[in-house]
Amino acid sequence: MSNSQTVIIAQREYFQRLKSRSFIITTALGPIILLVLIAVPILIAVFANDETAKVISIVDESGQISQLLELPDSYSIDRLERPVDSLRAMVNRDQLSGYLLLPATLVDGDGEAVFYSKGGGGIVAGETLRDAVTSAVRERRILDTGADAEVVDITRSRVPLRMRQITEEGDRTDATPVLAAFGYMMGFLIYICMILYGAMVMRGVIEEKTNRISELIASSAKPFQLLLGKILGIGALGLTQLLIWIAAGVLLSAVGTTIIASMVDMPDPAAMQTTQEQVEATNAITEYIPSIPPSYLIYFVFFFVGGYLFYASLMAAVGSAVEQESDAQQFMWPIIMPLIIPMVLLAQIVSNPDGGLAVAMSLIPLFSPIIMVVRMAATNVPHWQVLLAIVLLFGSFVGAVWLSSRIYRIGILSYGKKPTFGEIARWIRTS
Amino acid sequence: MLDVQDVTKRYTGKTAVDSVSFSTGEGRIFGLLGPNGAGKTTTIRMITYITTPDSGEIRFKNKVVGPWSQRLMGYLPEERGLYRRMKVGEQLVYLARLKGLDVPEAKKRIQYWLDRFDAGSWGSKRVDELSKGMQQKIQFIATILHEPELLIFDEPFSGLDPINSELLQSVIFELKSKGRTILFASHRMEQVEQLCDDICMISDGRIVANGSVRDIKSSFGRDTVRLDFSGSGTFISSLEADGLIRVVSQTTNTAELRLINGTASRRVLDEALGSVSDLYRFEVVEPSLHEIFVSVINSSRAAAGQVKTASGEQQ
Repeated sequence: MSNSQTVIIAQREYFQRLKSRSFIITTALGPIILLVLIAVPILIAVFANDETAKVISIVDESGQISQLLELPDSYSIDRLERPVDSLRAMVNRDQLSGYLLLPATLVDGDGEAVFYSKGGGGIVAGETLRDAVTSAVRERRILDTGADAEVVDITRSRVPLRMRQITEEGDRTDATPVLAAFGYMMGFLIYICMILYGAMVMRGVIEEKTNRISELIASSAKPFQLLLGKILGIGALGLTQLLIWIAAGVLLSAVGTTIIASMVDMPDPAAMQTTQEQVEATNAITEYIPSIPPSYLIYFVFFFVGGYLFYASLMAAVGSAVEQESDAQQFMWPIIMPLIIPMVLLAQIVSNPDGGLAVAMSLIPLFSPIIMVVRMAATNVPHWQVLLAIVLLFGSFVGAVWLSSRIYRIGILSYGKKPTFGEIARWIRTS
Repeated sequence: MLDVQDVTKRYTGKTAVDSVSFSTGEGRIFGLLGPNGAGKTTTIRMITYITTPDSGEIRFKNKVVGPWSQRLMGYLPEERGLYRRMKVGEQLVYLARLKGLDVPEAKKRIQYWLDRFDAGSWGSKRVDELSKGMQQKIQFIATILHEPELLIFDEPFSGLDPINSELLQSVIFELKSKGRTILFASHRMEQVEQLCDDICMISDGRIVANGSVRDIKSSFGRDTVRLDFSGSGTFISSLEADGLIRVVSQTTNTAELRLINGTASRRVLDEALGSVSDLYRFEVVEPSLHEIFVSVINSSRAAAGQVKTASGEQQ
């Protein structure tokens, strides 16, 4: 009987919300936002590169460097020699993006190059110019020592480094960077879902209190069943929404790729540089995804579901304690903080996934849904740790629902006042 | 049927219910009376297993109450409420399923009761489209759908117009005749007097009177006088000033007076005849439940050293 109460409650939560206008709207808007998020950077990349290249001029006092200067294709060099005054005037009239002043002393390894512009262009632009000037000066000075052009070629050469990962079967391309990025993404996904659907559970509990229906329900089911039913029903709803979005996302990206491909037929490789990189990154990801072990995906589902359940039950406790949503704020920070801490520490976890901090945090239920997922992507986590984290997470979930139901039992019966943390602690002890 | 045995419930710093015991049997209507904050709702919540007593126990059909007994009880809380955005029909099916009914049976009964309450077409309406009184009827239906053996109504008539009150009352009597036990919490004494077989009065968490309405009333004796008259009613204030009577209620042409300090009813009649121009009724009766309630609560509070006019708090 006790299970059937939970099932009946979960069914109501699921179907009532599924039919609600707000669910239909958010579900419909989700892919549109997704589409915008995907399409905008691509379109920007495509159209940004259609722009005419930045025209800069060079004042090369030694006359020995400019011919060695190699700038990316987004720059074009105006090689006409003009006095500095007219260059300045041209920059002001936007006829030039800027001009580069290369003093004669550079050849002797002295002095500094200066780029004059109206500002902007970003940090990357500065880096590009700096690198270009540095290599040009370096090459000039090598040539000045009387070395062969061959020596210059040697300084230009780069040694590629491939990362190989040793497995029992041999070795393979090390997917660590991709996996870490994937873990990062999954961490964010869990975070967003906790905020989105956990808050829905909380509002649901509060709504029942403001509608004064809690007492009626409490005379038909135990608070534990009620809260568990709510959490499971809304969880199922969240999964439904995610599946719809994933399906829509797959469909849209397929359609989107076709459209963009037809828009940019036979792209000029120079203009497509940024997009080219993206395509390469995408290819890299598609190449690596099959190498994600299936156990990772199974574990991920466990942490994803467990994380939602645990945090939703904590949110349910907040809902049980307060009467209005505006009162919930003061009780939210103990829940939001443990969600933010792992996001802040993610970079550290990824760079040292086997360190003490990473291991400890990946076992603590408040953090494990995010940290363990990232760790599993970044390194080979021993199975016992993963299983322990899962057991702890689900155990904490049941504990949190129990705790919430103790708070709920008293919370529904005392209308009209906002409790303090101390009072809630007393409720848990005495109910 | 229902036995409340020496039940105590404390909340932080306050004893809400203090050693309360009473029992009621099948086919009887039991009234739980008391001013606001007396502990009625707390007692009911323990019977319905929403909360549990700190000490003592509540037995239903000779077993301690628990989740099993929730299905056999129907509770209409004083704080009314339904899911506002849910359709009436879906909502009633949901509440009935929680009480163990299957969907087809629930639907059949819902239609029957909606028709009984002139609400046959409301099934597909959303609750927030209904008036307060209409919502009240829906909630009443939700309470009785699963044919519970024990029905608990907390102020069931509040917010209903006279016609619907009448309808509700007839349904309550019908349920009683089918052998259901009904527990009725109220401070509306006229209704309690009309409906209840037994009553239990509580004040500040303690029982101050308990027994059948008949016994309680006769224990107070025939010490109340009712008069209908025309003309001057000044005799009433002079009798009161002499400490011979207490005025229970008074209008221009009627009065209900309680004889105190051993005053003979004849004395009142003599005084009245000397004052009024016409006397249409002079009747010596048992005090009304309302009067019993007021005096019992007042004397218990006086004993507890916190005199208050219970009648003033009632409104």
